[in-house]
Amino acid sequence: MAEYRLDCLGEACPVPLLKTQKKMETLKVGDILIVEIDHSCAVKNVPEWARKEGYNVEIEEVDDGQWEIYIEKTK
Amino acid sequence: MKLQDNPYYKKLLKDPWSYTAGAVILALLNIGLFASTGKPWGVTTPFSYWGAWIYKALGGNPESWFYFQQKAHAEAIKAGFWMDGHSVSNLGIIFGAFLATLLASQFKIKKIKSWKQVVAAILGGLLMGYGARISFGCNIGALFSGVASMSLHGWVFMIFIFVGAFIGSKLLVKYFM
Repeated sequence: MAEYRLDCLGEACPVPLLKTQKKMETLKVGDILIVEIDHSCAVKNVPEWARKEGYNVEIEEVDDGQWEIYIEKTK
Repeated sequence: MKLQDNPYYKKLLKDPWSYTAGAVILALLNIGLFASTGKPWGVTTPFSYWGAWIYKALGGNPESWFYFQQKAHAEAIKAGFWMDGHSVSNLGIIFGAFLATLLASQFKIKKIKSWKQVVAAILGGLLMGYGARISFGCNIGALFSGVASMSLHGWVFMIFIFVGAFIGSKLLVKYFM
């Protein structure tokens, strides 16, 4: 049940999605990854991909133009 | 109720619109642009004019170049910025995008992460600019307006944009991540 953070601030598409996909592979079931993003398109495509994989996703707008995406590896 | 919690504010200004809504609006706006300027929407050709004007202001003589001797280009750089509808529409895109970001309260000055990112951005910009000139437009002028004009070159552009994006993403993963 570990929690990891992935800093994608200042990164544009498709880098945040590629980094998230790579990082999720290393996680164990039950672990949570928090992706820090400030690129509005990535707030769309990262959760879209994660939900398609069947993971639990939550998005939080932490500041103007800055988000944290919580992804729980469920399987 | 706070503005941030208003469902209409959220739906119209905060959350991204659907791709379908965007496509329909872009199509309608392109019809309007075509009707009013006589040319379908394009983005990169005005950039070549901007370059010519800057070069001219620095003392250069772009009129002597083959590209700027073509009739449409020669007339456009002679007429100036405000007479070129597409130069003005480019300005509108920048201000419109800025306004949308402010209304959604998502404006943020992003930090530059690394020198690698700077190199990638400059290289990418140069390649896109060069490509847009030799293919007579970008994904707007050549693809979007080309396909809408029933021109074959738009469809050819569409096939090769996938090839380019495929090679580009492989290079991105290999050298810039």
